[in-house]
Amino acid sequence: MKIKLIIGEKEELIEISENKTVKNLLDIIDIASETVVVKKNDYIVIDEELIEDGDLIEVIQVIYGG
Amino acid sequence: MNSCDKCGNLNIIIKKKQSGQKLCKDCFIKSIQKKVLKDIRKYDLLEKGDHVLLGLSGGKDSVMLLDILNSLKERNIIDLTAVTIDEGICGYREEGIEIAARNAKKLGVEHRVVTFNEYFGMTLDDIISKNNVKEGRRNACTYCGVFRRWIFNRVARDEGATRIATGHNLDDETQSIVMNYLEGNIQNLTRIGVKSETRSNRFTVKIKPLREIPEKEIALYVVARELDVHFAGCPYAGESFRAEVGNFIKELSNEHPTIMYSTLRGFDKIKPILKREFSQESIVGVCENCGEPTAARLCKACTFFKDWEDE
Repeated sequence: MKIKLIIGEKEELIEISENKTVKNLLDIIDIASETVVVKKNDYIVIDEELIEDGDLIEVIQVIYGG
Repeated sequence: MNSCDKCGNLNIIIKKKQSGQKLCKDCFIKSIQKKVLKDIRKYDLLEKGDHVLLGLSGGKDSVMLLDILNSLKERNIIDLTAVTIDEGICGYREEGIEIAARNAKKLGVEHRVVTFNEYFGMTLDDIISKNNVKEGRRNACTYCGVFRRWIFNRVARDEGATRIATGHNLDDETQSIVMNYLEGNIQNLTRIGVKSETRSNRFTVKIKPLREIPEKEIALYVVARELDVHFAGCPYAGESFRAEVGNFIKELSNEHPTIMYSTLRGFDKIKPILKREFSQESIVGVCENCGEPTAARLCKACTFFKDWEDE
């Protein structure tokens, strides 16, 4: 399935397999979940939220080192 | 089924690892506001009529604190002035200053921007380029912390402020406890706390109303409230011992989600003993160069300048 992924200024369409959670996606793109807030279709969601075909996922980096 | 523990809403935005509590957006925002206001009462951080000087960097912690302290200003409980310190970190600080100004303006809070350059004749970038000349010198955070504290104290007196409020959160405070313990800085440990206590009337009392709120929850609050925030990392932060300790505690927290709370609680229990045995606060005088309070002949900021002059 395809989703739209936004990280900062970068926006892209990506292909991921079915039954993936937000946490699974963050692991795939190698981002630590404790450093971000994630929105699905403009609503804040928790790590275990299931991603579905056509979703808009926005990853907001909120915690930086130091 | 995931639903809000308070209202049953199915759209939850947090499931707290440390307690298992699940909250929707509205209940999370309310619970955070309630917790901060409760801590302000519990630790006696503010009194009616206080004039609070808030350190407003434009980052998530200070913008959240502005949001909450403004609710006390609107109820005529306190006066509030925000101050942004421009350390002179090229390519980083400019955006934070703009965001801080926008937040203060939106809420009608008086806002001042003060610079390292106007007080010390040099920026943090200048200090660090000087610093690189010799090996074994201190890192940026040490200079920045000392000079920022000096400016806060000076501006607070200029403004007639009765409290200096900063956005230090649970992660910051836990890092301070662990790093000072590991480095054996027992004097510094005696000064860590939710509210500074000093007998010198030249020191304005400092308060940390967000001290028991984890950094991640502050980030979630500002996103949930749709506040205008400067999300960026200081270019100098990565090089610090604090960053190393912070990463270590974050890693531990993954498997032990209450570790920061227990570190803080344990420290608060032994602090009275540390203070009794090691505090030097009773011998506070004034710096013979700048007049700021200090236990030594020269304050820390003037000591750095003297060292540079002597080179």
